Parts: sequence; structure tokens; C-alpha cells
Amino acid sequence: MADYLPSAAVQMTDETFRLLRDFIYEHSGIYFSDNKKSQLENRLSLRLRANNLPDFDKYYYMLKYDPQASKELRALFDSVTTNETSFFRSPPQIQAFQEKALPEIMERRAEKGEKILRLWSAGCSTGDEPYTMGIVIKEILSEKIKEWDIKIFASDISEKALKSARASTYNEYTLRSVPPEIKTKYFTQSGSQFTVCDEIRMLVELQYLNFNDTKRVKLMRGFDIIFCRNVLIYFDDDAKKRFVAQLYDNLNPGGYLFIGHSESLHNISRAFKLVHFPGALGYKKE
Amino acid sequence: MERPILEIIKNIEEIPTLPMVAMEVMTLSKSPDVSIKAISECIHRDPPLAAKVLKLANSAFYRRGTQEIDTLHRAILMMGLNEIINITTSVSVLSVLGTRDKGGESLRIKFWDHCVATGLIARHVDKKIRMKAQGREFVGGLLHDIGKIIFDEFFHEKFMEAHALSIQRKCSMFEAEKEVLGTTHMEVGHFIAQKWGLPPYIADINLYHHQPGNAKFKDITSLISIANLLAKAKELSCGGDSVSFVLKDQEAWHILRKMGYSMDVLDIERITFEIEDIGEEVKTYLSAVSEEPVAEGANG
Repeated sequence: MADYLPSAAVQMTDETFRLLRDFIYEHSGIYFSDNKKSQLENRLSLRLRANNLPDFDKYYYMLKYDPQASKELRALFDSVTTNETSFFRSPPQIQAFQEKALPEIMERRAEKGEKILRLWSAGCSTGDEPYTMGIVIKEILSEKIKEWDIKIFASDISEKALKSARASTYNEYTLRSVPPEIKTKYFTQSGSQFTVCDEIRMLVELQYLNFNDTKRVKLMRGFDIIFCRNVLIYFDDDAKKRFVAQLYDNLNPGGYLFIGHSESLHNISRAFKLVHFPGALGYKKE
Repeated sequence: MERPILEIIKNIEEIPTLPMVAMEVMTLSKSPDVSIKAISECIHRDPPLAAKVLKLANSAFYRRGTQEIDTLHRAILMMGLNEIINITTSVSVLSVLGTRDKGGESLRIKFWDHCVATGLIARHVDKKIRMKAQGREFVGGLLHDIGKIIFDEFFHEKFMEAHALSIQRKCSMFEAEKEVLGTTHMEVGHFIAQKWGLPPYIADINLYHHQPGNAKFKDITSLISIANLLAKAKELSCGGDSVSFVLKDQEAWHILRKMGYSMDVLDIERITFEIEDIGEEVKTYLSAVSEEPVAEGANG
């Protein structure tokens, strides 16, 4: 078989983009909007090369009709989600968390005289997400944070990622979306490295957790907000349904689940109420 | 009790009127046996209007084939009478109200961004639920908030005050308007739509897009109500209210469901993602309607 040249130059036609986009959405719940065409093209060009294919039509055909396609699907998911985590990732989601979901839950809790908050960063990777959650809470409550009992559980299946999360030291690039005043306030700089300050680290409890370990996942109870972004893509439909049903049980009534931006629970769960926030979606347990 | 500002608006002589020809086209369109010839001849009596209609018919926004549409007659054949009437309505209203920013703190551009987005989203949802509103959903979305433009034009300071109040209180624009201006953009929009002889569904949408249950044209008003919310969630909004909502809990949603539209199987997430980059299309439409018409295009 001919060894094709690196496919960076191979263009994806609009029609093939739509076919692949729909295929990916159907199989993962992740949606590539029209303006993400070049992103998808870049990411999948590596898959073309790996499979020695001349163009995206052939790649689509392989995904659709090749008996080995399920293996390739995994590789595809990996390549479309290799976007590293970062602080304040997907700002509209963080804004929805900060301005809508958290205040709503805090108000209800405060009214009942239970100043307790339990959050879970499920699939926390190197810790950027749970620390972001901590910073947001501190920004909302300021000194009143002392009146609250707050815990952010952060779990991942990768020991390596958890080790980085424990070190809680990051480079400039990971902090690119962090507003300068937040950076000064919550990080200690040492050369080109930034370490999360103790008052935020204390809010976060890191732990190893495999989502297949149903017994342990069941024990994760009483959460007000769960972030589980870009995790579901690695499960097949049945596993997704089971896991999302479990996350529903893990939440308190009135609690919110946030999944990745452009990820969908359509066909996965009807238990939640889909809430539209400005520029972001959230799933509410009633 | 009289509502002072609505009464003032009713008596403002400077409130512009639609071009005579546009009003005639709308009257003609109400007749069940209206002909292509009659509409085409009527539009031709206003060459700048005819040129604008042709320009829009040829824009990236509407154009379907590769061939240029050089006469109104051809435009009607290719796009259908309804669509040409829709375009005429939109172009006339937009030219009277003005789409250019007035500078300073004016919200004019944001306002039109929101209205075009609402029209586009309505068109998208119309396709999904197969309402087949035949372009009326786009015009309805585009013109659902004309009361706000009238406020901005004639009561600019008070309108800005209402806008600031809605941000401060985190309340809807119409609540703030009611407090500051004593009336709402819905009432004013309804009055203007009637005064201009716009199709009754547009007047209805103006009055009831926040309470579609009261509308006569319940289907299209509900559709616009939903599109309006989705446009706001895309942060294409000119109000101060930063909304969050559950689509399935909306009155409009229940109305459409009751009317037999397949709301239960609708993939709302997907629709939300699909309209994510609607901003580009909004720009395309606005630049197509805002450009100066080429006069010779009208001689068809």
C-alpha cells in the first residue's frame, strides 16, 4: 500500500465535516460546531496518517463500515479530546457555576442554616479544575468562607495526573485564562512556575478513583455540584447511562452536573432538567 | 388609567411610517388571489425598495442557486411570493428604523444582532419541529422587538435608564420599562405594527412573545418566544437580563407540545450547539440589508 505523505495538507470538505461531526456526536455526545472544522481537521489528520488513508472520506467510510472500527473509535476519541485541562477552562461554564449555580445553592443552604458545600471534580486530571472551583468559591464568599464547611473532592484514574495535582504547581500557559488579579491573589510565583496557595489547596481533597469501581463511586454521596467534563466520551452508551444515573444519585436534590462544553446527555439521561445559562448548559437534579 | 408614554407615542408625529409601497404590498398580500405580477409591479413603484429586495435576494443569506436573480419577477419565481413579501416587510421596517449604531451608549447594533439571531434561531427550530412557517418565523423573530427601537429613538434616556435598572435588579427589560417608562416594548411594538399595517401575526408576536398563551397566532408566537430565549442564552441580547431557563418548563414549549409538535424527541443540546456560531450569519444578514442599494438593479 502506498505510504501517504503527512496529511496536514489534506482538506476536509464541508460535507465530510458534517458526516464526521454527526458520527462523532452520535457516538460520543461531543459536538463540533461549524467553526471547529479546522480543529477537527487537524486532530483527525493524525488518524489519517496512522491508518495510512489518503483522505477524510475514506476515514469516514472506515469508521462506518470497517469491523475494526470500534478500536479506531477509541483512538479518535483520544485525538479529539487531547485538549489539556487549564484553569478557568470554558469561561461561560465557570461563569454559570459562579453566578448562577453556586449562589442558588448557597442561598438555599444558608436559609436552612446549613452552611455546607460538597463539590466533586470527577476526572480532575492535573487539578486545574478543582482549584479553579476553590478560587471561585473564595471569590464569592471572601472572608465569610470561614463560616462554611466546604470540601471539593477531586478524583482521577491517573496516578500521574494526581501527582501533578498534589504538587499544584503550574506554568504560565495553564494559567492563560486566569485574570491577573486572581493570579496574584491565589498563586505564589517562583520563576516561571505558579503554585496554588494553601487556603485554596485546603479546600480540595484529591483521591484516586476508577469510575468502574461502582462500590466506591456509590459512596460518593451528597454533592451539590459535580463537574465531569470530557469523561463520558470514553464510555460506550450503556456505561454512559449507568454512570450518569449514578452521578444523578450522587447529587443532592437541587444540585447541578456540568459536563464538557459541547457534550450532550441527550439519549443518555432524562432524569435531569436541562438548564440554559448564558453560553453554557447545566443539568439539574430536582 | 391612561399610560402616558404609550399615549405620547400614539401622538408623536415624527414617528416614521413605512414606505407607501411596502404598505400596499402588505395589503395586496392579504388577498387570497394575489398575483406575481401585481406584487412585482407594486414593489417596482419604489425603485430603492425594489433594489434592496433584489440585493437581499442575491445575498449569501437568501441565494440558493448560482445564477444571479436580476428581476423581481424572477426572484418571486425562484423564492416564492411569500418569501418576497417577507423580504419586503423586513427591508422596509429595517430601513425606516435604521440598523446603524447611533454612537455613544446606543444599543442599536446589539439590538439588531439579537433580533436577527432570534429570526435565525426561529428558522432553525422551525425546521426541526416542522412548523413550516414559510419564512414568517424569520420575519417574526426579526421584528419581535420593534417597541425597543421606538423607545431608543424617542425616549433614549429613559430607555437607557430602564436598561440600567434591569441590570441592577437582574430583572427582565419589560419589568424595568414598566417602572421607568410606564409601558413596555411589547405594547409599543404592537401599536407600531398595527399602525404600519404589518401582518397581524407580527403585531401578535410583538405583544405576546413573553406570554404566548395569550396570542392569537399561538404556534408562531411560541416559536419566537423560544427563539428569543435561545438568542439570549447565546448572549445575543440587548436587555440587561442575563437569563437562565429550563426550555421544557416554558409556556411556549407546552403550547407547541399540546399543538402536536414533536417537542419530546427534540435534541435541545444539539440545537444549542448548532446555533453556537450564529454570530457570523447575523453579520452576513445585517451587512446585506445595510448596504446601500444599487439603483440599476431595480429595473427588472
